[in-house]
Amino acid sequence: MPKSVKICLAAVIVVFVISVIATLVILSPKDEKSAVYVEILRDNEVVCTLDPAVETDRTFRIECENGWNEITVKDGKICVSDADCPDRTCVKSGYLRHEHLPVVCLPHRLVIRFAEDDES
Amino acid sequence: MKTKRLTQLSLLTAAALIIFVVELRFPDILPIPGVKAGLANIITVYAVYRFSAGETSLMLTSRVLLGAFFASNLSALIYSASGAALCLTGMLFLRKVIPVRYIWLCSVIGGILHNTGQVAAAVAVTGTMAVIAYYPILVVSGGIAGLFTGICASLIINRKDIKKEQ
Repeated sequence: MPKSVKICLAAVIVVFVISVIATLVILSPKDEKSAVYVEILRDNEVVCTLDPAVETDRTFRIECENGWNEITVKDGKICVSDADCPDRTCVKSGYLRHEHLPVVCLPHRLVIRFAEDDES
Repeated sequence: MKTKRLTQLSLLTAAALIIFVVELRFPDILPIPGVKAGLANIITVYAVYRFSAGETSLMLTSRVLLGAFFASNLSALIYSASGAALCLTGMLFLRKVIPVRYIWLCSVIGGILHNTGQVAAAVAVTGTMAVIAYYPILVVSGGIAGLFTGICASLIINRKDIKKEQ
């Protein structure tokens, strides 16, 4: 095995292992106390902020020039229940569970995430 | 460009598009944007080692553009285009460093670079750093997908009858 290949292989393994560890950290469940508020952003502007724990169960639509996302708040959790985007990945993502992992709809540039503590 | 070369490139583009369209029908592996096998890149990896830089970029550009039209998902074009651009640049550089025997390694790095480009585009489009949380997951998935496409490409590239044609 030539030296250049060895260097590349070593770099790939290092990056891969770091990513696996980072993935495990990001996918760890949310700490109950921190980050209560959920904010919905479009084009990095806060469309609305809400606290799913005190919110009554409801469904509402967020419209944009490309289409709409239907957002459902249920039992203190929030998810995108329906959308007319082409890939519908936002709907398949399910409930917002992880503190650092937002639910995103890339075609509609919509991001649903837990708000940072200092903003709430 | 010679007619023979042009025909070969067109055939490769067609093959890549067929693989791309077939893969569209597969159910999502994970409900995470950007996680997919990217089987059409078997052709890309093959072309990187068998054609010149210009020819490969030409083929990949037409494949990405036509793929977006066939998928009728033009909003995804910016992600696939930026991913493909970074992946191709990286692999064209790597083919000078990595011999064809280790084509799978080039493909793994290409896969990781592809998803790097996609996350960069997503950060630029949504304007939030929030989507960067997907990056580690996409590096892992890109690496695994790249390994798979790379092994497939090495199976193709070792065919003697294709080699003779060049």
